[in-house]
Amino acid sequence: MAATRGLLLRALRASRPGPVAFPAVRRLRTAAPRPAFAKELFLGTLRKEEVFPYPEISNEELAEINQFVGPVEKFFSEEVDSKKIDQDAKIPPETLKGLKDLGLFGMQIPEEYGGLGLSNTMYARLGEITSLDGSIAVTLAAHQAIGLKGILIAGTDEQKAKYLPRLASGEHIAAFCLTEPGSGSDAASIQTRATLSEDGKYFLLNGSKVWISNGGLASIFTVFARTEVVDKDGQLKDKITAFIVERDFGGVTHGKPEDKLGIRGSNTCEVHFENTKVPIENVIGEVGGGFKVAMNILNSGRFSMGSASAGMIKKLIEMTAEYACTRKQFNKKLSEFGLIQEKFCVMAVKAYVMESMAYLTAGMMDRPGFPDCSVEAAMVKVFSSEGAWTCVSEALQILGGLGYMKDYPYERYLRDTRILLIFEGTNEILRMYIALTGMQYAGKILTDKIKEIKKGNVGVALGEFLSKLRDMMGRKVDYGLVGDRGVVHPSLQESGKKLEENVYYFGTTVRGLLTRFGKTIVDEQLVLKRVADIIINLYAMTAAISRASRSISIGLRNHDHEVLLTNIFCTEAYFKNNYAMAQLQKYADENLDDCIKKAAKQVLEKRAYICSHPLDRTF
Amino acid sequence: MRLHWAHALSRRLWGGWGPSQVARSMSRHSSRPAGDPASGAPARRDPPRDAQDNDRGPAAFAAALETLERIPGRRVGRLELVAAALAAMPALGVAREREAYHRLLRLLPRGPWVPRGPIQRLLAPFPQQQECGLQILEQMERYGVVPDAETRFLLLGVFGPRSRPVRKCQRMLYWLPRLRHVDPHPLPSVLPPPGLAAACLGLRRIANDPDARITVYQRPVPDEGDNEGSVQPYIVGAQSPEQQELLARHGPARPVFVEGPFSLWLRSTQLWYYVLRGDPLPPHLREDPPDPERSLYYPLHLDLDLERGPWDDDDFDVDEVEEGPVFALCMAGAGDRHTLGKWIAGLQEANPVLGRTPVVFRLQDGDPPAGATGDPPTPSLGEVPPPPAVLELPDLPRGYGHSTRGGGNKGSMAPGE
Repeated sequence: MAATRGLLLRALRASRPGPVAFPAVRRLRTAAPRPAFAKELFLGTLRKEEVFPYPEISNEELAEINQFVGPVEKFFSEEVDSKKIDQDAKIPPETLKGLKDLGLFGMQIPEEYGGLGLSNTMYARLGEITSLDGSIAVTLAAHQAIGLKGILIAGTDEQKAKYLPRLASGEHIAAFCLTEPGSGSDAASIQTRATLSEDGKYFLLNGSKVWISNGGLASIFTVFARTEVVDKDGQLKDKITAFIVERDFGGVTHGKPEDKLGIRGSNTCEVHFENTKVPIENVIGEVGGGFKVAMNILNSGRFSMGSASAGMIKKLIEMTAEYACTRKQFNKKLSEFGLIQEKFCVMAVKAYVMESMAYLTAGMMDRPGFPDCSVEAAMVKVFSSEGAWTCVSEALQILGGLGYMKDYPYERYLRDTRILLIFEGTNEILRMYIALTGMQYAGKILTDKIKEIKKGNVGVALGEFLSKLRDMMGRKVDYGLVGDRGVVHPSLQESGKKLEENVYYFGTTVRGLLTRFGKTIVDEQLVLKRVADIIINLYAMTAAISRASRSISIGLRNHDHEVLLTNIFCTEAYFKNNYAMAQLQKYADENLDDCIKKAAKQVLEKRAYICSHPLDRTF
Repeated sequence: MRLHWAHALSRRLWGGWGPSQVARSMSRHSSRPAGDPASGAPARRDPPRDAQDNDRGPAAFAAALETLERIPGRRVGRLELVAAALAAMPALGVAREREAYHRLLRLLPRGPWVPRGPIQRLLAPFPQQQECGLQILEQMERYGVVPDAETRFLLLGVFGPRSRPVRKCQRMLYWLPRLRHVDPHPLPSVLPPPGLAAACLGLRRIANDPDARITVYQRPVPDEGDNEGSVQPYIVGAQSPEQQELLARHGPARPVFVEGPFSLWLRSTQLWYYVLRGDPLPPHLREDPPDPERSLYYPLHLDLDLERGPWDDDDFDVDEVEEGPVFALCMAGAGDRHTLGKWIAGLQEANPVLGRTPVVFRLQDGDPPAGATGDPPTPSLGEVPPPPAVLELPDLPRGYGHSTRGGGNKGSMAPGE
């Protein structure tokens, strides 16, 4: 049954109108890389042509994706037993087979290698459905968002031809082996070593990797190991290289699956390599170039979490709304209580914004050229993972004790969601990435100006002073979002103005921070965290406004609701941003960083909570 | 005038000949049959440790006071008795017990020393008596004993409201609890006897890093006791993983130095320690050069030509004298090169690089004699035989009523005061 459906899917894919034209457009990579939208925000510039109008897909593509969505949705609602997967900590083979037949193991693999060849947007759309079961979503993501991504983006044609077809069909499952016992994000902790054999034909791979998703299922591994490389000044150096390792190369063993809090059905275990012979043609990229490969893989895999979380929250809203509208308390329905209503609003807003961000980013990535959207993708990941966690928690709150019971699926959602904040780069680390990447970009451009000011160039300083003065007198910021020729619909005028104002002051804040801290801002993590929070909010506001504007303009169903959600979010985010920017000013009363650091230091010095017990006495 | 009453009493009670024997018997042999005049002398030669049972210490003090309380004629000689008891308290190990002070206060008569009416209160009534109360409180303060409501109640009964002792007690009640925990690095109330245990404690105190490992490189022989007859001194060292890293980074090319002894006081015990240190490395070797391929997720360094602004540079501008890193610490029962060499040999197990590094001994002249790790002058350590406590007036600061009385016949002071 599932097999026939899968065949059907592929047949649909093949018979789609204009099968040649679209991939050609999507893969046209000719233009020079463009500085992306988010980085420009750090300069206080809003490149509205990047985000307005909200990216669309053509009718043909829409029809095509809708044809995919139907069967996949049906499969997930009828044949996936999430409760059983969670209990047995294993995805049953027939479910896996169904997924393979649907072609979900090769969503982004080009069609010539037997995949579905989906664009980022379409991939995000399917991610909405696959996320209904956390274990399956993680298994799929570990396979194609990171596991085989290395071959896809940096592999040679031979490697692609050799591995991708069987990976696309799901005959082989891929895993991404980077983390080692030392620590996750420190490349210096990688101890796995690959030594070139004497005849120079293969590498001998030795070492262990931990917490490898799909480690027990996979037959193809992307492995990162240290190799000796002669660098340009002739010295031997240890550098990281990426390899494609087949299980059949020998010497590959894996530990028993880890018992986890959530996503229990996904397979996570240790993988050991012992004298595994890897042919030299299985190096991904070049020898010693593994670090870049790893970074690119990690950076490219994140954007889909936005739509996945949104899909899950939408489902959750349905389920909890059903409950809230039927259960009665004090002769009133739960849905009539203000505190319950607030929770639904929060969920709807978060889901809406998440979705907007995810599809905006996916759309930007689908554009021709080499759009560098890693910062945007990281922002989507941070926002959506935290939003998902809040929403699931709120949903559980609506359900009360019922949500806590194992008989209902809610507690599983809660457990599954927790991993989102941790994997693919913890949110803390991603915040640093977002803020520092932007700071680096802005710093490069602003360096000269700041130096002039520091040197005491009167002209520049005076200009700076006048600009500050104008800010204080109440400057009108106009990026052309609103107004007669604006791109934002008039009903979103207020939100648009708020966004403009935030963007302008964010630019001045960033400049101020760079003047103050220079390159030592790397060590000011609390500052960077606020910068990241602001920029995430700005991007979220942009995405929501852009999407809502489009909805009104083309008259989508319930667009007034979208406007409402957008205005709610933008107003809240505006004040949050203002508060954060106030904290970022020097000597701000709101800024408690020094106290926070001191308190943490005292605790960490003693490695314990050091306050006396409230019942203690001294006499 | 001095203690005639107490002498008479004590001879009967403790069988001693003089004040010094009284106290010794008070401390050791209160249960000895009375009227045995020779009992005090041989007891002095007993090993001090053997006396740690119940015929010495708090029990003896309690027994003595109990007997005193039963004796009639309570008006005479109380002040002297209290002063003598105060002097004997540290030796008996009750100086930190509040209840002991309460017992002393209960020896004082209730009522007769209370001034009658406001006029008498104005005229500094009963100076000697109040001084005696103040001494009790002062000794409590010295030993960190916080008075409680009962102390105040007893003082009120003896001296009356708003008398000097009561007011001092109130001040102590205010301050002592507040000051009780001001020390961020408190010592245990009872310090271990000098030797291995005290050395470990001292090292733990210097190497204030929870990761630091204290290793005993050599156990003392004999296991305990004084160092005079010891065959081999103890060697104990501390080293943290961070220090091991520093030592590895220091490399075998540059010499390291054993320096010391430096002294460390644990209350009134003096300990000596030695450090293994090196000269500071040249700046370019101190840290690995920044590796752009280090962090997989975010840049660890910004490639900017912007320094921190002068207004945001919170570091003080001081001329720093650079000191080399300290790689390890050691305390040993003996300070000779032979012993310290054994420590270095032991360190090599965890730090292989030390085997190839030249080690220079820079020991100062003022070496403590072998095994001088702390000749404890205080009884609070409780190991060395406390000098005989004397039921005699303690040596009070000049100007205090009692101190000048009794001519030059001052007994030996209680130790540690």
